[in-house]
Amino acid sequence: MGRLRRLTDSNLFVTIVWIAALVCVWEIAASYIETVKRTPENVLPHLWQIGQSVVSTKPVAGGQTALQIVLTAAAATLSRAGLGFVIGAGLGFVLALLMKLSGIVEKIAFPYLMIIQMIPILGMAPIVLGITGDIGVSRVAIAAILTFYPVAANTLAGLKSTEPEKDSLFRSYAATLPQTYVKLYIPVALPYLFTGLKIAAPLAVTASILVDTLQGDGGLGCMLSQSLKHAMSIFVFWQIVFLSAIVGVLSLNAMVWLERLVLPNERRKGKWNKASEAESAA
Amino acid sequence: MEQSLRSRIGSVALPALFAVLLLFLWQTQLLHRMLGTDTFVLPLPRHIAQILVDNPVKIAENLRATCSVMFSGLAIGCLLGYGISVAAALFPKWGSGGLRVIGAFNAVPIVALAPVVINLTRDASDDVEVRSTIAKTIVVALLCAVAMSIGAYRGLTDLQPFAEDLLKSYAADRKTVFLKLRLPNSVPHIFIALRVIVPTSVISALITEYFAEHVIGIGRMIRDNITLAQYATAWAYIVVACALGIASYAVLMLAQRLICGRRWRI
Repeated sequence: MGRLRRLTDSNLFVTIVWIAALVCVWEIAASYIETVKRTPENVLPHLWQIGQSVVSTKPVAGGQTALQIVLTAAAATLSRAGLGFVIGAGLGFVLALLMKLSGIVEKIAFPYLMIIQMIPILGMAPIVLGITGDIGVSRVAIAAILTFYPVAANTLAGLKSTEPEKDSLFRSYAATLPQTYVKLYIPVALPYLFTGLKIAAPLAVTASILVDTLQGDGGLGCMLSQSLKHAMSIFVFWQIVFLSAIVGVLSLNAMVWLERLVLPNERRKGKWNKASEAESAA
Repeated sequence: MEQSLRSRIGSVALPALFAVLLLFLWQTQLLHRMLGTDTFVLPLPRHIAQILVDNPVKIAENLRATCSVMFSGLAIGCLLGYGISVAAALFPKWGSGGLRVIGAFNAVPIVALAPVVINLTRDASDDVEVRSTIAKTIVVALLCAVAMSIGAYRGLTDLQPFAEDLLKSYAADRKTVFLKLRLPNSVPHIFIALRVIVPTSVISALITEYFAEHVIGIGRMIRDNITLAQYATAWAYIVVACALGIASYAVLMLAQRLICGRRWRI
């Protein structure tokens, strides 16, 4: 009995029940649509139909199966999304360092960072395609621009979050500027950097899929719109919907894993800090 | 005092100088040389301004379509999200698990969500305009609701240490704890969430227009004009989209200042 209680109390169990509930809702809706629509798979197919299309060996276009098409497209899109993500994160980190180093750079750049956050960059995707003229380059560029803002803003907040006492301590040790950065500012800023990366990773994926829809070059977004226009099996569309959702979630989780790898002690430290806070409050 | 005045002038003047420099490079076509493009793809600022001045009726019509989708989606989504977070806070065991599943939706790209919703709402109305508006509003509302439910849930549950214990020691019932402690505590978190939600609502409204049946809206105009190689017109709509983004964010900041004031410091 106790074991059962422990099982039903666990987070995993709750999550699984919720997912099961969602699957039920989907299946009920799909069954209903099956009865009222002539082509139910265009609106809401059964989940098992989508699963069947994943394992099916029937070629749907150009002699490729649906899964082959989706995976080839995913490789093209995601590699560029990843490249853009890395470039954007690198540039964002460097800009944050420059802003911390120089008040003038901060004053010039900070308002523009704010504005980047407010304007719809994704809406500007077509014009980036127009300027670069190449779908691959614009995928990388849009993913980089979208990654850039959250990384730069969060890293800057992290670089500025050092307690003044630590600053004074380093000065009293006559630490040089590079030493202070390497030993103090950057380590303090790392958790903030990861917050930025976690926000940016799903954005980079969304961005490069969206850029794909603008021009035909075999990316995920391109196949998605082709499939919606019934140029190939509609199940390619459904596979891409699920794949992009999974990749979006995985990209976020990848950042969480990376954070645990780079900062294995951060979590424990955070808990300890909270406990000591509670003590002092008491 | 003088020091702070000078630094304040600096923080306005330096970015402004940068903007002037950028416009100068743009107008003198040095920017085009740097980016390796021409005035056809990247028209001069004067040309873009001219288009904005010449087509007020067309632009206003598209702006109205985008705004109505964005604001109704934002309002519905925020209310729905807040409702979800309240339900989750009342039943924390199932609620937090449910929110974790909802949180996964945050990572689902709009490009995947928009066509699904548009397909599902195809029977909602015989009028293309009505059913497109419904579909677009649903997409915006869903994305806003996800972000709001997560942000507000944090506000409803992340209380000051011992505040709940204190109220319990006053023999406060759950309703009182909710109204006097949780609800006020969630207000600053709502605004923090809104800082993400408001830009999201603009972007999702623009992107869903790409996929909608009815051809209207700022986002659709940007895309269609580029397909037609009308780059200058597309740029004019980009300017409008940016203005919409900045204006909505400014309204949010104003509302935050008015509502939060002294009671809630963010």
